Amino acid sequence: MLLKLIGASLILFAGTLIGFLQAARYADRPKQIRQLAGALQRLETEIVFGQTPLPDALQHTASNAGQPVGRLFQAAADELSAGEGRSFRECWDHAMRRAWPTTSMRTPELTVTLRLGSILGMSDKDDQLKHLRLAAVQLKAEEDAARDDQAKYEKMSRSLGLLLAALVVILMV
Amino acid sequence: MLERVAHLLPSELTAVLARMPAKAQEGLEEIRIRDNRPLEVWTLGVSTFVSSSGSLSDNPEGAYKPSFELCRKLLERMTNHSVYAMEEELRRGFITVEGGHRIGLAGRTVLEEGRVRGIRDIGGFNVRIARDVTGVAGQSLPQLIDRSNRTIASTLIIGAPRQGKTTYIRDLARAISYGRWQSPQALGWSGRKVGIVDERSEIAACVRGVPTFDVGPRTDVMDACPKAEGMMMMIRSMSPEVLIVDEIGRDEDVEAIREAVRAGVSVVATAHAGEWEEAAARPALKRLLQEGAFARGVVLRRTITGLSVKVVDLSAAAAAASIATGSAARAAGHSAASPREPTVTARAGDSHAP
Repeated sequence: MLLKLIGASLILFAGTLIGFLQAARYADRPKQIRQLAGALQRLETEIVFGQTPLPDALQHTASNAGQPVGRLFQAAADELSAGEGRSFRECWDHAMRRAWPTTSMRTPELTVTLRLGSILGMSDKDDQLKHLRLAAVQLKAEEDAARDDQAKYEKMSRSLGLLLAALVVILMV
Repeated sequence: MLERVAHLLPSELTAVLARMPAKAQEGLEEIRIRDNRPLEVWTLGVSTFVSSSGSLSDNPEGAYKPSFELCRKLLERMTNHSVYAMEEELRRGFITVEGGHRIGLAGRTVLEEGRVRGIRDIGGFNVRIARDVTGVAGQSLPQLIDRSNRTIASTLIIGAPRQGKTTYIRDLARAISYGRWQSPQALGWSGRKVGIVDERSEIAACVRGVPTFDVGPRTDVMDACPKAEGMMMMIRSMSPEVLIVDEIGRDEDVEAIREAVRAGVSVVATAHAGEWEEAAARPALKRLLQEGAFARGVVLRRTITGLSVKVVDLSAAAAAASIATGSAARAAGHSAASPREPTVTARAGDSHAP
């Protein structure tokens, strides 16, 4: 009996935890998207006003952005300085795909970010500005969508975790 | 020569070039990379196409064709992934990189109010490998000195393109700056303060304001600066005793050189011309020569044995001319610009000097 009780409470606890984690992902996503947009804004300043070379600009952006977005830029800067004759797009692609799972962001934001890879550093500053602004607008749209998702699913996934755990317990008893 | 620029080129391209015969690699002067068109190199003084196996041929058929991706990588390498930071370079049409190598660019230009603002869609690269030759000016320097002022006399150096003018004045700048006068009469003279106005970044090949060639310890460089303005800035700010400029020929250059000569600065300048008569016929140079702004003339020509240097003493020619005009020979009025046959010929240096 006691063993059953312990098992049931463990299942309940785990279910609730999964629910809360899922909810946290919903809550973090818009925050991180905004953080990413902020970091890109910073990169834009470095490029357009500072005319800082891209490897340095990425490094500066990485050290100024909060985590986990800073990690994305740091990864890109590291890949680029390791270089080995790869183009910027390859470095950027690889870095983003590798570091993306450590964030709460999803595929739509990743697509916007990856698109930047073929443009950054490859044109004059007016062109860079246009593309970075476009990315900012797209990220804003994703942020809004993420906010809607958060409103819809955050609470739900929290209670869903608990309820599913309860269901499992009931079925087992 | 290839290893000097290998770090600039994508590895695929370096691999192709490294398969060329060793002699061709050693004599490499230019690598011409065009998007999806045959890879051309200038080596040992001739143009040839390179196949992917590294064999050389005059026939563009079967030559290696660099892909669009490769050109993109090349551009990224040359600009440190930052085309936007190179606007000035793109406006001028070339990038100077560490080591003094120069990459000429061709593509579609971007205009702003009718003026070129930069190049977009770059489809052609010309990697010119710089080589610095020390000692080419040494042998002729004793004929260029101005004994009374213990410095170099104002000198005009002419030569057709690719004859070694830039190499020659770079070496001259270095010799004057170090005080290597190479002449028993100049024993104990110290070096002179040299100012180089390097409009095309060729003489000193500055990267971020620092010369990558050794131009001497007493040398200041005004990089990428219009010549006329640069000469005046130098005189005002750096008090040079010798000013060195490349490729004069415009009206504003004349005014600036006059000003410099009046300020007691020796001017060493180069101009494009095959023969002395050609140079003397150019309006801007003609005026300067008539005014006696230059005391010496130098004609450079590349020969099989090396660089041939002919020194012309213009002060003597000018004196002769004034006597001639004095005796009412009006037709000889321009003879300051066409002096007698050169007085001395010296040979020195590397026949492959750029």
